Amino acid sequence: MILAHLRLRRRVSLHAAGLLFGREREETLAHLAACARCRAEHDALRAVVAAMERDPLRSAEPDVPAAVLAARVAREVDQTLVRAGRPRWWLVALPATAAAVAAALLVPPLVKQFRPEPRAARATIPPAEASELLEEDALARIERNLAREQAARYLNEAGDVLVAVAATGIDCDRKDDRLDVGAAPERSRELLEKRRLVGDEGGEAVASARGVLDDVELALRQVAELPSCVKRRDVELVQKDVEARQLLMRIRLMTRELEG
Amino acid sequence: MGAAESGEDDRELMARLAKGDREALTPLVERHYRRLYRIALGYLRQRDDALDVVQEAFVKVFQAAARWDGSADAGPWLSRVTVNLAIDRWRRNRRRGQTFSPLAEGDHLEVLADHGPAPDRRVLGREAGERVAVALNDLPERQRAVVVLRHYQELSLEEIASTLGMSLGTVKSSLHRALHRMRATLTEAKP
Repeated sequence: MILAHLRLRRRVSLHAAGLLFGREREETLAHLAACARCRAEHDALRAVVAAMERDPLRSAEPDVPAAVLAARVAREVDQTLVRAGRPRWWLVALPATAAAVAAALLVPPLVKQFRPEPRAARATIPPAEASELLEEDALARIERNLAREQAARYLNEAGDVLVAVAATGIDCDRKDDRLDVGAAPERSRELLEKRRLVGDEGGEAVASARGVLDDVELALRQVAELPSCVKRRDVELVQKDVEARQLLMRIRLMTRELEG
Repeated sequence: MGAAESGEDDRELMARLAKGDREALTPLVERHYRRLYRIALGYLRQRDDALDVVQEAFVKVFQAAARWDGSADAGPWLSRVTVNLAIDRWRRNRRRGQTFSPLAEGDHLEVLADHGPAPDRRVLGREAGERVAVALNDLPERQRAVVVLRHYQELSLEEIASTLGMSLGTVKSSLHRALHRMRATLTEAKP
């Protein structure tokens, strides 16, 4: 009996999990009928399985429609491609710095050697200074691109939040006619915290996006004020505001523009 | 996972994805995302994390479509990618000291973030979900994956083995150990 008990212990678990069939199942059932200890163990494991069967998560629905998720995936793939295609900052900065150093060391002696007789000062930029300017120009361009990409990402994320609110149809309290907006308020608050970094520090690079960024900020402030289980009419107010400002379309267009 | 979910249609969609056809993404997402979401949610018990994981899984699938072995069904492959990403996310959350967070306002569930008593945090929602969450939280990663695939997806032992790349014997042992461990946790947690 002890040997049989040990041999059948794993089968008892599998039976409790609903995974035994045919002869194995018959043998296990026969053993359970004869072994009180295994029967008790089986019942306890069955209770664990039953608790899982009652878990509401088994039938949980995602709070984002398939089309929205597919759009997010496509966008993420695009961003990954952009990131992969973008040269690393040091690949740009290193040659520029090397060129600047070389110019600073080599150009002045050469200039001195081949310089003709002194003449009246010319309004040209000294070579070393020109290299510095070149380097500054390259770095400024990188900064500008980064600022634009950051703004595009910000708008994308804000767009996701607004779509999540606009597309929600999940009741969280039918009696009180309330809808579940999930983590949208929390995400809005996080995005609002990043807002200054995007708008103000982006400078001229994101000047054309400022209008959209300001309107997005207003919409996010509305969402940030919401609880996660919110009255339908409050959701509708946000939806109307987003529609009135044509915000989702403007976000899409501006994102494309920023991403070049 | 029925034939409709992983038959030739999936192969066609994957072939289109491999050629960079984005239009194929929506039907593929439509077909699988609920199932993948429930796997990720069963594992992580956090709705935002679960949705992120599913999104990431489809991104990976899109990027790897050209390398996909068309002889196999896409369903188990998608599940495997999702489970692996859920495990990664779980580890990351654990490093941040956030093993699992209260769940889903929509499900009216709030679970405790640790095993100890927390009288200041009210436990709402259904008891079954809460107790299961605590017991699952105590399982090692792979055992947890086996339990989720079995009891939240109702996969057979063979399907679990194929999804997780484990032998049948390992799946059986893992499930056996996991159920016993959960039982012990639930017994300890009983008031």
